[in-house]
Amino acid sequence: MPVYRQNVLFEVARGIKAFLNFEAGLTRGPAPGEGDGPGLAEARRRLEAKNRQIAQLEEKLRKGRSGAAVGDLKPENVVWMFGTARVGSTWLGSMMDEPTGHTMWHEPLIGALFGGFYYGRGAHRGGKHGILGGPADKRSRAIRAFILASAHEKFPEVKGDGYLIVKEPNGSNGAPLLAQALPESRMIFLVRDPRDVVSSNLSGKSEGGWTAEAFKRGRRKGAPPPTDPQAIVRQGAKKYLEFIGRSKEAFDAHQGPKILVRYEELRADTLGTMKRIYSELGMKVDEGEVARAVEKHSWENIPEENKGEGKFYRKATPGGWSEDLTPEQVEVVEEITAPLLKEFYPEKQPSRTGV
Amino acid sequence: MRVAKKPGLNSGGFLLPVFRNRVAFEVARGIKAFLNLEAGVTRDGTPEAGPENIGASTGVRRLGWRLTGRGPAVDGSAAANGAQAGRVRPENMIWIFGSGRSGSTWLRSMMSDMERHRVWEEPMVGQLFGVFHKQAQEGQLKSANFILGEPTRKGWIKSIRNFVLDGAFYANPRIKPDDYLVIKEPNGSTGAPLLMQALPESRMILLVRDPRDVAASVLDGARKGSWLYERKDKGKWRENALADTNPEAVTRRRANMYMTQVGNARDAFNAHKGPKVLVRYEELRADTLATMKRIYSELGLPAGENELARVVEKHSWENIPEENKGEGKFYRKATPGGWREDLTPKQAGIVEKITAPLLEEFYPA
Repeated sequence: MPVYRQNVLFEVARGIKAFLNFEAGLTRGPAPGEGDGPGLAEARRRLEAKNRQIAQLEEKLRKGRSGAAVGDLKPENVVWMFGTARVGSTWLGSMMDEPTGHTMWHEPLIGALFGGFYYGRGAHRGGKHGILGGPADKRSRAIRAFILASAHEKFPEVKGDGYLIVKEPNGSNGAPLLAQALPESRMIFLVRDPRDVVSSNLSGKSEGGWTAEAFKRGRRKGAPPPTDPQAIVRQGAKKYLEFIGRSKEAFDAHQGPKILVRYEELRADTLGTMKRIYSELGMKVDEGEVARAVEKHSWENIPEENKGEGKFYRKATPGGWSEDLTPEQVEVVEEITAPLLKEFYPEKQPSRTGV
Repeated sequence: MRVAKKPGLNSGGFLLPVFRNRVAFEVARGIKAFLNLEAGVTRDGTPEAGPENIGASTGVRRLGWRLTGRGPAVDGSAAANGAQAGRVRPENMIWIFGSGRSGSTWLRSMMSDMERHRVWEEPMVGQLFGVFHKQAQEGQLKSANFILGEPTRKGWIKSIRNFVLDGAFYANPRIKPDDYLVIKEPNGSTGAPLLMQALPESRMILLVRDPRDVAASVLDGARKGSWLYERKDKGKWRENALADTNPEAVTRRRANMYMTQVGNARDAFNAHKGPKVLVRYEELRADTLATMKRIYSELGLPAGENELARVVEKHSWENIPEENKGEGKFYRKATPGGWREDLTPKQAGIVEKITAPLLEEFYPA
């Protein structure tokens, strides 16, 4: 039915508007607004509906404020795995993905997103206008919402007592930002002797290695890795310093459940270390499932053709660096990573000192 | 015939005078004619004709706004976990994309002096998401695990939307529901497509300038002792600046940056369904007032002619103190085509070659 509607609005003073709404037409049913709205009973019904709506919205808001959930994922059931590449995070992640109700988020790189910008490119972080600038609590709230919303979108099935294990070694340059954003989350800080890390890195990036091949086949963009072994070693050591350094910063400051795990311990006594991880993080898990996961993902169960020099699964031998790196390369790694080497491997003093 | 009058509608917490008159009468069996008239003053929005808004509860609307991130929140606080936005209305956001050294500071200054306009100065949120997305490996982009992976694009675009709205409110906590937020983001233009997809109802200005003039301006600023050189005192910027030792390298780098930033901003502009306007710096210089009128008209923004004239006059080139202008300074020469005097033929050739598609599109010979 024909209806004519006109709305006019103009500002008469700052923040004060005058308006004129005019509406005319023909209708078959009741006219809009006829009879001063619906009857009393209808008005009561609508009022009750609105009150219910308010209660629901307030409940949602309350949950949001308490940080209980965006979706049904509990922030305290987010388990970060920080460190750096080549420290055994794929192996640990595979085992932790096995128990019922545990889900792995494989390398989302959220830490790289925020950390790379904040610590790297973020020339604007100091100012209040910068997206990651201003007070830390506001930055953390925004990052928190982003993480939880993204996690919920990707893993709507993780709810209740379910755990979301976030394998994030290559996002560890943003570990402090992520940990601040989710202070109640759980954290695993996985470290490995930097000389073994660099040795593994060198193998992958050398001619024929799995990383070098990925570049060759165009599966990776950006600047290809250097071909000079000395440059690869230097680059690897610097990355270790940055990523393990940021992980340590986050670990030291974190108030939620946390555990430091050395790769070497994990190799020496996998089941014992896994039990310690779950125990110290206060995670509910069936011991039988853990034992089965350890067995399933053991080094011995990786097919022989997938293992070896230049492959993703290389040798898994702590201390193997002494065979792989030249004395000059060892010296470079030890010099660059000295503070971390001293802290995490005090028993393994720099080789050049002869101690 | 029924007549209803309801004076004194509670308008957003303030009792302001409202006159309402409704008339309905039957003109044939089952057919009614009606006439509703409503007039008054309001502080936070306009009641639209129709009964639905009579019954709409302000409380419900406010909570809804806060939970959905749409419309104005009213208590001044973004929710603690940031899942919902604060007061910033997405449709009141006005993005300025393009490239650095294109007159965005000038345009922003004029707009910031308009009534109910606030400025979010270079948040770099476009750089945060845009550069990260651009640098992602192909395998990562195909992965549902990757935070910005294509399989879950819809989800993370929503997350970016909330993140931007949260950030806008945190940076501008005093913003009012009806305020406009001008976001000067030329150096975040790499992320313009993501931001515009996340906030499709926001307004967008694509500000372009001849890339040769942009390169000339950057070269001048990057020379030792110039404003940009002096400002960038951290990291290795100065070591890499090379404007004095290898100006061709600086020119090449700048031209590539122009291609990325303006190219992405242009892509976002073409895809954007919300209000938008393309502005050439040269037009803005040639007839500032007319161009400002066009900007406000095409963006559907209210602006009085006197107000526009006032801000144009206040921020005119002539009103910048002489001592703040000139070679090596932030305000250099503001002369379109000045690159002919500033760039060597070789440098001009580098820019023209790298930026050819955009030069042809925006500055056809």
